[in-house]
Amino acid sequence: MNDAFWRRFLVPGALWLAFFFAVPFGIAIAISFGQAAEFGGVIYGWHPENYGDALDPLFAPILLRSVGYAAATALLCLAIGYPVAYTIARFGGRWKNALIAFVLLPFLINYLVRTYAWVALLSDEGLLANLVGQPLGVLNTPVAVIGGLVYGYLGFMILPIYAALERMDPALIEAGKDLYGTPRQTFWHVTWPQTLPGVLAGALLVFLPAVGDFVSAQLLGGPDTYMIGNLIQQQFYGADNWPFGAALTVVLMAFLMLFVIFFLRGGRAAERREALA
Amino acid sequence: MRGGYDRPRFLWLVTALTYAFLFAPIAVVVLFSFNGEKSLQVLDGLSFRWYEAFWNDDELRESLMASIQIAAITTVVSTVIGTALALGVIRSRGKTGSWLGILLLIPLVTPEIVAGVSAFVLFAQLGVHLSLTTIILAHITFSISYVVVVVRGRLATMGTDREEAALDLGATPWQAVRLVTLPALWPAILAAAMIVFALSFDDFVLSFFTTGETPQPLPVRIYSALRFGISPTINAVGTVMMLVSALFIGLAVALPRLLGRQESGMAVLTGRSE
Repeated sequence: MNDAFWRRFLVPGALWLAFFFAVPFGIAIAISFGQAAEFGGVIYGWHPENYGDALDPLFAPILLRSVGYAAATALLCLAIGYPVAYTIARFGGRWKNALIAFVLLPFLINYLVRTYAWVALLSDEGLLANLVGQPLGVLNTPVAVIGGLVYGYLGFMILPIYAALERMDPALIEAGKDLYGTPRQTFWHVTWPQTLPGVLAGALLVFLPAVGDFVSAQLLGGPDTYMIGNLIQQQFYGADNWPFGAALTVVLMAFLMLFVIFFLRGGRAAERREALA
Repeated sequence: MRGGYDRPRFLWLVTALTYAFLFAPIAVVVLFSFNGEKSLQVLDGLSFRWYEAFWNDDELRESLMASIQIAAITTVVSTVIGTALALGVIRSRGKTGSWLGILLLIPLVTPEIVAGVSAFVLFAQLGVHLSLTTIILAHITFSISYVVVVVRGRLATMGTDREEAALDLGATPWQAVRLVTLPALWPAILAAAMIVFALSFDDFVLSFFTTGETPQPLPVRIYSALRFGISPTINAVGTVMMLVSALFIGLAVALPRLLGRQESGMAVLTGRSE
């Protein structure tokens, strides 16, 4: 079968993605330079000030907050996810597969439903408040929003770390011990560098969706904890400022793409350093 | 955590707490969906009244049907397009295929809100009325990449020997694909289809940006209901949604095994996240 035969298979998918993925993003870029029409909609033009507005003192904190929350989420996911993946991979024995499947199970459940489950637990009329006997006052705080994000994306951290630990040759740990390494030294000089690619993949898989998330802040947070996702959503529903919403969307996408590129490069450099050390 | 690297007690404690953290809220939703009373704080008796309330609520029932319809059509269309795309990407030797293979990963790392806004402005500029159709079009766009990743993983390990044998025996290229390649790919295709169904059924953000007034898919309906507070009926809806996702992900894991191929469904699933 020649190339021309197989290339035909590319056509429907390529056309579909061009029309429904590339073209819409192009329209979003075009709109981001336009002017808001009265009831939503857009008057096309050249108004780069929409991007200036995104950096306005009024909105810049929201962008910084989104990045901050997402970074905190990735770090917390690492702090929780690494020990869990490590325990299952090293000490899980014959229950390993069941344990990892069990830990991933909640992530197959609708994110909205899972987030709202926390509202049911944490709200001042909720179950925990009833048990404690007083309102918790956790909702509408950054703690609740970041907690919701961790709860939403922890699985994306556990899975790649677990896969990296499973790929690792256990004999390496034995070798570390034989060379009189303490458990701590063996961990930091053998296991950690071996699993670094999994950690980096996990950090990326958690950070990317967390930055753009608006469900956690919407349900568990309040106006003081709004993230860029909430701001974007408002521009299309309520504020009727499509160009500003589109500009924020383009800023978010550009930031994340640059982040991915630098993150992967930095990761590779770190791996090379580890390999040399 | 002195000695914790080698002595598992501390590690097991962290792991146990994580399991509790993960399952506690879900357990609460499920338990209270069977509550005999309206209370969200005290369990009192066992009943199915909130499931009845769900079924008797015309809007919620309509939303459930809408969600099933969206997921079903999305699954069929994106599986066909995605499988074809995976075949083209893996089997064609030119640069086009390998570039497309890389570009296909972009939808997977695009935040949902960016995808939602893009779809929204496309339909708005085309003057298309938002409806179930627009939701389905948006869902298909993002499901194609998942299908490609899963099917491509299987295809890459298959080699072209059998296809070439079929050609040597006088089959036309189309016959070789239909009678040799596709049957061998079947487990991966089914697994991909089940994953897409679960993702589409669950999707909130894309649906939120592309939905019309009525009927709205279930997650969008839950979202609007939540603005008026939590009700036991929502617990029942949430429990039903969990069951549907669990069923389809379970099928995605089990089907490849049931069909008697060596490769496990878990490998198909975990392979896509690496």
